[in-house]
Amino acid sequence: MPIIEVRDLAKQYPLPDNKSEKFFAVNGVSLHIEAGEIFGILGPNGAGKTTTLEMLEGLNDIDGGEASIDGIDVSTNPYKVKQVIGVQLQANEYFDNVSLEELLALFGALYNRDVDPVSLLKKVQLEEKAKAKPANLSGGQKQRFSIACALVNEPKVLFLDEPTTGLDPQAKRNLWELVRDLNSTGMTIVLTTHNMEEAEQLCDRLAIMDKGKIIAEGTPQGLILQFAPEPPEAPLHGDLEDVFLALTGHELRE
Amino acid sequence: MLTALQRHLTSVFLKIFWRDRRSIFFSLFFPIIFMTVFSFANSREQQPINIGIVNDSGSSIAEDFAQMLIASPLFNVSVGEEARLRDELIAGEQTMVLMLPADFDANLGEETSGINVVVDAAQVTQLNLIMPVLQQTLLSIEREFRGIEPMFAIEIEDVQARSQRYIDFLLPGLMAFTLMQLSIAGSGFNIVEYRRKGILKRLFVTPIEPKDFITAIVLARMAIVLVQLSVLILFAVMLLDIRIVGNFFAYYFVVILGTIVFLCQGFCLGSLAKTQEAIGALGNIVIMPQIFLSGIFYPIDSMPEWIQPVAYVLPLSFVSTGMREIANAGATLMEIAPNLFGIGIWFVISFVAATRLFLWKEVAN
Repeated sequence: MPIIEVRDLAKQYPLPDNKSEKFFAVNGVSLHIEAGEIFGILGPNGAGKTTTLEMLEGLNDIDGGEASIDGIDVSTNPYKVKQVIGVQLQANEYFDNVSLEELLALFGALYNRDVDPVSLLKKVQLEEKAKAKPANLSGGQKQRFSIACALVNEPKVLFLDEPTTGLDPQAKRNLWELVRDLNSTGMTIVLTTHNMEEAEQLCDRLAIMDKGKIIAEGTPQGLILQFAPEPPEAPLHGDLEDVFLALTGHELRE
Repeated sequence: MLTALQRHLTSVFLKIFWRDRRSIFFSLFFPIIFMTVFSFANSREQQPINIGIVNDSGSSIAEDFAQMLIASPLFNVSVGEEARLRDELIAGEQTMVLMLPADFDANLGEETSGINVVVDAAQVTQLNLIMPVLQQTLLSIEREFRGIEPMFAIEIEDVQARSQRYIDFLLPGLMAFTLMQLSIAGSGFNIVEYRRKGILKRLFVTPIEPKDFITAIVLARMAIVLVQLSVLILFAVMLLDIRIVGNFFAYYFVVILGTIVFLCQGFCLGSLAKTQEAIGALGNIVIMPQIFLSGIFYPIDSMPEWIQPVAYVLPLSFVSTGMREIANAGATLMEIAPNLFGIGIWFVISFVAATRLFLWKEVAN
């Protein structure tokens, strides 16, 4: 049975230049994510990836359709859902003047849990930084710390919104390792990304979104076989970036 | 009463606010400078006025007159040569020079004896203060000389049994103003900052509820405000010799009520404003009129009559006049019940508005 079930999810926003008109930021998205999967959502900027995640996380009202996580309905039981999910948002700033271990203890308290900050920091290789302030971390360290914060409630599902954007190759690969480790403990991971290598290497299954809709879904290999343009003479060739561009077009977004 | 979550969150906010030493320093620095300047300006007015006496007469009557002026706390008298004192008057060291002529007591009691008063026109404002004293002094000498008893005696009974200085008036208002600023900034500006950094969003994906967040900020900020005000009060009492006549608990009770009201107003402003610039502008709209209209620097009674009804019902007016009644007149909480009632009304308005406006989903995004 899927741990995340989404049917016909929709979100409407007023148009930026004409407030009386509305447009669908998310328009009829359906997803079935199995427990233990690493599931990737790809799409150009403005495709509705973050809005979809925010609706699942309870940050955004659901305007249409249904979503349930671990059998709990998201719109009727948001507080129960929050107990079983961990979330890393795109913004990863925290309170000033509070150390990493104090922040982790705080996040634990928000779930009414006593947590061991040092063992959480060990999981993300930041045990040396227990007394440091978030402002003094590098980009990769900040992302790993955000993941540590998302783990305080031992979530069944971990949401990562563009976790490797802006990281150098070392930090990126290090984060992939961390995600694989977490996944190997049985944790379901849902992430959004612009990085095709990340999608191909890390994800078990992918959904590609554009203009609020899912336009393709499948394993990375399956998508390549199905959508990558075949060069006339050569055998199977191309990668996910070709798939992405073939599906969403070459036009610049935003 | 508080859940473990609320206690923990409060303690974290306490740490955050306490470790923000720069803002604590500045919030203490300006009121202290302000108080010091006002108390300095205030004490200068009480310094004795320098006057010179040229006694060309040398008679006992003239000597008595000079002695009485020397004994008066109002004056700092130097007796000397006319030429030197005139120079000092021009140099501004003397406010006036009294010249007792050689024939001061020649025909005493039969002709009116003249005293020449040489003044610098620039010092003329102080003449209004000095002349009645001189006349009074001359009158008592005359009575003694003629052997008549004064017909009337004025006995001053000071019901408040203390002298009211401007700084005594100013301090409670300044405290009220400081607590308003600290509270509105403490909730409003923080919320805008936390939203900008995405912290509100991050908190919202945990099972915490808005009331936990609001309770924690209110308690932590109130503790910090109480510490800051206590430092200011201690400074005023120890170094500026300001007396607080009333009950300290009553005083702090009003402080706490005021802090809650203004923290709620800060939550309203922080929920409405989307940027630091907007919260700055909104904050000024709330704060600026109250600086001038809430009887901080001068009593509301002395304002134009048409504006008084508005001035009296401002939240800061209720807080500052309540604190002043306690500090200066020793009023009890019962005696300032109308003020407490006014603060209560503002609390209900601000609290309802804050809970209506502070919705996670809208405020966090």
